[in-house]
Amino acid sequence: MNSGERLTFSKSLMLLPMLIILAMFFISVFTLFSSAFVDRGGFSLKYFQQIIDRPDYHIVFYRTVLSSITVAILAVLFSYPIALLLWRANKWRNLLLIVVLVPWLVSLVVRTYGWIVLLGPKGFINAFLGWLGVIDEPVKLMFNDTGIIIGLTHVLVPFAVISILSSLLSIEENLEEASRVLGASGFQTFRNIVLPLSLPGVFTALMVLYLASVGAIVTPLLLGGITEKFVGSQIYQEVMATYNMSKAAAWSICLLSLSFVSLVIIKMIERRALRGQE
Amino acid sequence: MTTTLNPSVSDVQNVTGSIDIASVSKSYGDTEVLSNVNLSIPAGNFLTLLGPSGCGKTTLLRLIAGFIEPTKGKIAIDGRDMNGVPTQKRPIGMVFQNLALFPHFSVAENVAYGLKLRKTPAAEMQQRVDRFIDLVGLNGMGDRRIAQLSGGQKQRVALARSLVLEPSILLLDEPLSALDMQLRKQLQIALKDIQQKLKTTFVFVTHDQEEATMISDTVVVMSNGHVQQVGAPQDIYASPETLFVSKFIGELNEIPARVTDTGPQLSIDTAAGQFTLPASAARGFAPRAGDAAVICLRPEQLKVLPAGANVTGQTTLNATVISRLVIGPLTRVSLRVGETDMIAVMMTDADTAPLPSGSACKVSFNPDHARLFAPLSDDMASAFGEHA
Repeated sequence: MNSGERLTFSKSLMLLPMLIILAMFFISVFTLFSSAFVDRGGFSLKYFQQIIDRPDYHIVFYRTVLSSITVAILAVLFSYPIALLLWRANKWRNLLLIVVLVPWLVSLVVRTYGWIVLLGPKGFINAFLGWLGVIDEPVKLMFNDTGIIIGLTHVLVPFAVISILSSLLSIEENLEEASRVLGASGFQTFRNIVLPLSLPGVFTALMVLYLASVGAIVTPLLLGGITEKFVGSQIYQEVMATYNMSKAAAWSICLLSLSFVSLVIIKMIERRALRGQE
Repeated sequence: MTTTLNPSVSDVQNVTGSIDIASVSKSYGDTEVLSNVNLSIPAGNFLTLLGPSGCGKTTLLRLIAGFIEPTKGKIAIDGRDMNGVPTQKRPIGMVFQNLALFPHFSVAENVAYGLKLRKTPAAEMQQRVDRFIDLVGLNGMGDRRIAQLSGGQKQRVALARSLVLEPSILLLDEPLSALDMQLRKQLQIALKDIQQKLKTTFVFVTHDQEEATMISDTVVVMSNGHVQQVGAPQDIYASPETLFVSKFIGELNEIPARVTDTGPQLSIDTAAGQFTLPASAARGFAPRAGDAAVICLRPEQLKVLPAGANVTGQTTLNATVISRLVIGPLTRVSLRVGETDMIAVMMTDADTAPLPSGSACKVSFNPDHARLFAPLSDDMASAFGEHA
């Protein structure tokens, strides 16, 4: 080790702020998690028992997982063509990227209220369908899974676009031309070259979107209403409405375990799909 | 590594693969990158497009490939007009500068890609893939991944991937530029060898004049979107038609000069002295008295003589020896002639009485060897990093 790399006291001082932040993070998480296992001063699995015993809570988990899978897949399906367009639009890419990202400048709550305006019983979509004569009475688009899925998909599409675009941009120059010279049509080139090479970005998008969706709070709260809860909105309710911190902590541990198991499964699928790619 | 050629491959006799480029221009907006290019490439020719970067050589290659369409003029392959024919329908193969190998395929899968698209039966495909992997000298490496290969091996995969389809024309866009000198030399020989066995028309783009003269049947020198000269490498070296070509191909001594009188003999005034040249020395322009010009002489056309030597029939200028460099059989002598630095090259064993550095000498040349050109225009000079 040369002298320039020696860890001096003054240099190690610079690590202090980071250590404080890390310590605070771990202490708070540890305190929260431990509160899930404590009841009246003793060790207890009571709060977990409460969650496991209630069938309506099981539905909350199923809804969270199934809706999140749907959201991740839908958002990727919407995002892929957008990412392709941005990839192709050399000159306009940055401008178009701004258009894709502009919703981020608007608060999540405001955006979700925007969906209420569109999806509500007297909202724009129902009014339009009614005016067309397609429907006689309003379609229920809100305060159910449909509303949550629409809202979350909309919120998460930009993440997927960025993830897919970055893997498209990493495709080596001329690969498409090479494929064309070897006799492939435009579609064959997409199918054989572009799509397989963009899969890492697709899987990253699926993973990030799924995890973001599983942990979502605001959108399920506003578009799912009181009855259709996500795990996230359930935790929010335990904390803000019933002040049951221990139960909220138990919920959190369940959610974290769920995310972790899902992550492992997605990674396994990804490894299988990308076999042979570096 | 030597390249062994499979004898069965050499039986292939291509009579197709001629390219006719007629009055082709290509513009992007107001910028014309190719202007009025006319070129006929016979089938089976190893042709090199040579020029500095930005001269339009790659654009011409991409026009032949069909990635872009000409703004004016037409390109025909084997007499068939290619305008509007998509790349995948043209009888061409192409090796890219960055090789463009498919990273998610193995070597064999890369080579098989074109055959798969043509729905070649599995048994035949396997046989052809093996044959061409052998042809380029990658025996037994079919299962390797692209990332596991060295630069030279990747090069060979790119070649095999194109050649396995037996295209009548192979386009090569500076494919050797990323390799080190020794590997480059090996692959140049391998390329030439493969081309002669397959009788495929090769259109090779490079900015390296040594590479071009070494491997080509025909060299096309380009600059600023224009074809400067077309010919066999030795012909272009021996009789360049423009100053640009003289400078670009081979080593060159240039003496800035002024024409003082014209007639059957041109009277020339230089910083090193006055002399006359035959009127036939002027190339590409008709000199008038007072015109600026450049006299060009190849290093091997100069003779270095002691200061007191007597010569007849030769033009002689006073010079000073700056240094000498013996490179095996050749000796290079750096000279100061007037205000110009010049190089003379001679056989080492012919240099019997070497003159020491700093000594006065005479440099002589046959006036019939000298060529007189008009000075380069500014944009041409910029290709050589010169500024007027």
